Amino acid sequence: MSIVLEADELRVYRGRVCVLADVSFALHAGEALALVGPNAAGKSTLVRALAGLLPVAHGAVRLQGRCLAGWARDALARTVALVTSEEEGPTLLTVRERVVLGRYPHRGPFRRMGADDDAAVAQALEETGIAALADRQIGRLSAGERQLAALARGLAQQPRVLLLDEPAAHLDIGHQLRLFRVLDAIRSRGVAVLAVIHDLQRAVDWAERIVLLVHGRIAADAAPDQVLADPACAEAFGVSVSAHPAADRTHPFYAFE
Amino acid sequence: MNEPRCRAWTIAALLIALPAALLIACAVGTVPLPAAGVLRALAGAAGLGAPDGGLGDVGQTILWNVRLPRVILAALVGGGLAVVGAALQSVFRNPMADSGLLGVGPGAALGAVLAVHLGWAARVFLALPLSAFVGAMVATLAVYGLSRLAGRTTLSGLLLTGLAVSALASAGTSILLVASDEFRVKAVLFWLAGGLEGRGWAHVESAAVLIVLGVLTLMALSRVLDVLALGETEAQALGLPVTVARLGILAAAAAIAGAATAAAGSVPFVGLIAAHALRPLVGPRGRHLLPATFLAGALLVVLADLGARTLDLRIELPLGSLTSVVGAPYFLLALRGARERE
Repeated sequence: MSIVLEADELRVYRGRVCVLADVSFALHAGEALALVGPNAAGKSTLVRALAGLLPVAHGAVRLQGRCLAGWARDALARTVALVTSEEEGPTLLTVRERVVLGRYPHRGPFRRMGADDDAAVAQALEETGIAALADRQIGRLSAGERQLAALARGLAQQPRVLLLDEPAAHLDIGHQLRLFRVLDAIRSRGVAVLAVIHDLQRAVDWAERIVLLVHGRIAADAAPDQVLADPACAEAFGVSVSAHPAADRTHPFYAFE
Repeated sequence: MNEPRCRAWTIAALLIALPAALLIACAVGTVPLPAAGVLRALAGAAGLGAPDGGLGDVGQTILWNVRLPRVILAALVGGGLAVVGAALQSVFRNPMADSGLLGVGPGAALGAVLAVHLGWAARVFLALPLSAFVGAMVATLAVYGLSRLAGRTTLSGLLLTGLAVSALASAGTSILLVASDEFRVKAVLFWLAGGLEGRGWAHVESAAVLIVLGVLTLMALSRVLDVLALGETEAQALGLPVTVARLGILAAAAAIAGAATAAAGSVPFVGLIAAHALRPLVGPRGRHLLPATFLAGALLVVLADLGARTLDLRIELPLGSLTSVVGAPYFLLALRGARERE
């Protein structure tokens, strides 16, 4: 698998506080990577830095081998999509209008919708399973449906890298499973997906790799079960972790105490 | 009713109501003119039928030199301020934003009064609207910068900052007017409470340049407004240069508010009412909202100005006071709705 996005000794400040220090890791095409860590570990900052939204004090983020600073804004937004759980666009927008705005990096301020734009919007609505809600206003959706609409906006950008900040926040278990199935379908097209996930069991079951971020530094970067077995993981969350293998499952069940 | 149909009906209703209101405003006044005659005279001027229209010389003079420029100016000022309200609501991501509440109108008034005080207004073409524009821009940037100092802009933080900047600008306006040699109560009233008394074609011309340019600019940038309304993070992630886009839109808004204020004084609440009331009817996207708010704002101010000169035939009521009488209760109701949603 080829590397699409790479952080190289990344250091990021917010105000005077150093939020990320010497963060290095790579994301491969089609990969499912879960970013986990305790509150205030710098996960959201890392995701935003990877999307090119924050100034980098030291080190670099490279997208397809090229430093983010060398990317034009619109070209970057056509390649990397960021979806956060705190999006608060106008509640009177319909789902379709919201998703159409995901074509902004392709259309710019003036170009009309073309056939490719229509196709991308239709596909995004279809893949996220919210085509039936296309004409409903965002404000009339449930939290789960709103999250799917935000994801559909990201998909309409037709990115090679999808960055998700807590995509499963506020979602019931049914919506969570649906969301991660959608992400797997997207990955099968070669899109790399990095998601900040709070639920460690969910991270283990979904991701191919887990990066554990603690106090702005990477404490572990390995296969899911390896990271959960790492003492650094238990220490980071201040819990004890025990694995309970189940016969019909790829990964064990984990108990946290 | 589904959204596209509701939108079509709303815009159709506005397209009928505005010309009707313009016609009534031309006909009604201290000297009433027959509406049919006004219509014939306007058609005549456009090359259809007799140019006189049967109004007679006095009627013609009243129509062409008094009523028509005033009514057109009211429509331009109202439409412009309404579009400014819609744009500010997107930039500040706040459905309660309005040029009057955010200090833009009072800033423009201060700029205009300064130009009068220093004597530029009489000497240089467009000096008055341009000074008003600069005043509006300074006030806008002050509110924008101050309300962001604390990080996230909240509804109450924004409104309170706007209140403080407005109070400061209005205080400056009052002090300048009192200090001026040509101080008259009427002048203070005009800049603080608005009015279109005695406005002629010269005022229409100088206001139209900036208002039309500004409105067209904002309409051309309607998609940028839509992306800005999504919030800073998402707008950036979609590749929009957020700061440049915001400043550009604020500049266009300040140009419109400046020209409108230079021509009509302070006319508060028009932007708030028009954009806030129309958003549920035509949707929040700029390409529909901006043209619709222009029509609604024009309608509102044409009717308000009609009220200002006909409610009491002995004195002319201040235009800005009339829009406030309608706007303030609307604002309070909308604020209650916004708080309940929060």
